[in-house]
Amino acid sequence: MTDISDFDAPKPPAWFGAAIPLLIVLLGAGFYWFITTDKDNGESEDTSNSKINLSGRLSPGQTYYIFASEVEVYPTNLKNESWDQGKKGPDIRYRLFWKGNAVFESITKDDSLIADWSGLSIELNWKDLLGKSVSSDDAIKAGRIRFEEGEKIEIAVEDVDIASDDDVGRHEIEMDKLSIGKNEFKLKKTASSAIRKITLRVLPVGSNIEDLANIMK
Amino acid sequence: MNVTRFLIAVSSLLLGLGLIAPTLTIYPQAGDLTWIIKIIAPEELAVSTYSILGVIQKLFQTGDTFLAVVLAMFSVFSPVLKLSFYWHATGLKDSKKFNSILQRIHYVGKFSMAEVFALALIIVVIKSFPGGSTAELEWGAYIFTFSVICSMLVSFRLDSKKR
Repeated sequence: MTDISDFDAPKPPAWFGAAIPLLIVLLGAGFYWFITTDKDNGESEDTSNSKINLSGRLSPGQTYYIFASEVEVYPTNLKNESWDQGKKGPDIRYRLFWKGNAVFESITKDDSLIADWSGLSIELNWKDLLGKSVSSDDAIKAGRIRFEEGEKIEIAVEDVDIASDDDVGRHEIEMDKLSIGKNEFKLKKTASSAIRKITLRVLPVGSNIEDLANIMK
Repeated sequence: MNVTRFLIAVSSLLLGLGLIAPTLTIYPQAGDLTWIIKIIAPEELAVSTYSILGVIQKLFQTGDTFLAVVLAMFSVFSPVLKLSFYWHATGLKDSKKFNSILQRIHYVGKFSMAEVFALALIIVVIKSFPGGSTAELEWGAYIFTFSVICSMLVSFRLDSKKR
């Protein structure tokens, strides 16, 4: 039977103690990581329960802001001629139709083959938005459309001219295929449409301006 | 020696916290165009906060491996190595070994604190950007500085015991 006293027990090598500072460093870092990770998880659980669905497919009965953030047209018009005299690009405007009614008309973007819209009223000061003194309804320039299954919307793009507006094309979109956020539609040129690409943004009505800004990213 | 070891432990703890805690926050601005950038590319103006380890990770991700390795050497490995040498030195009874370890500590110590220089450089560079971008030190930087101060106190105590 062996009886090893403290005196006889094998001592760790002298450099062993040098690992202690490393262990304390890891302990400090691990402690901070533990408390911050735990906090983040708690926050994310809270927010997921209380907010409107901010991603994925549209929910029936929910109203959404819908606007085109970008419309691209082919380099020539429906007659395969240049859009405007003097080889200028088209002055693009679009309208959104829902249930046969025009529910939104954009401002005109001059001389563009790729026209874009922010979906926000440009007159507003962003400080007002961040301070939440302005509602998102006032800030957002988009059509308000309620989603119901099987519903369709139509976007009609026009080249605005002084004499008369020319059709660029129309495109019908099944709302079932839309999801919250960015939706892209690439189109081929036909006899009745010279739209090349439409980027639609769908934002849920009722969410706060911060969430909307995140969806817009 | 117990006080010295206590200081080493405090310095190590603060170093661990300082490496992972928020150290630097960058507030990007685009001058008069800030409002329009916020509309068309809001992610470009997102406020970013980094820890020292976060900066190293970011440098690796962006392919700046050399800078990442240099910063990791100077801000992580060198301070940890220095503290390890300190701890080892406090347990030595042989004066010859003690003096030899102190010499090594002073050598390693020359490679520490580079991250403070790097942070200062980042702040100066960001503040010189057009458009009013700013950078601010977060509490992690102060924790890190306190770690360095504790480490210096340990150094003074050990130097005074030089045989």
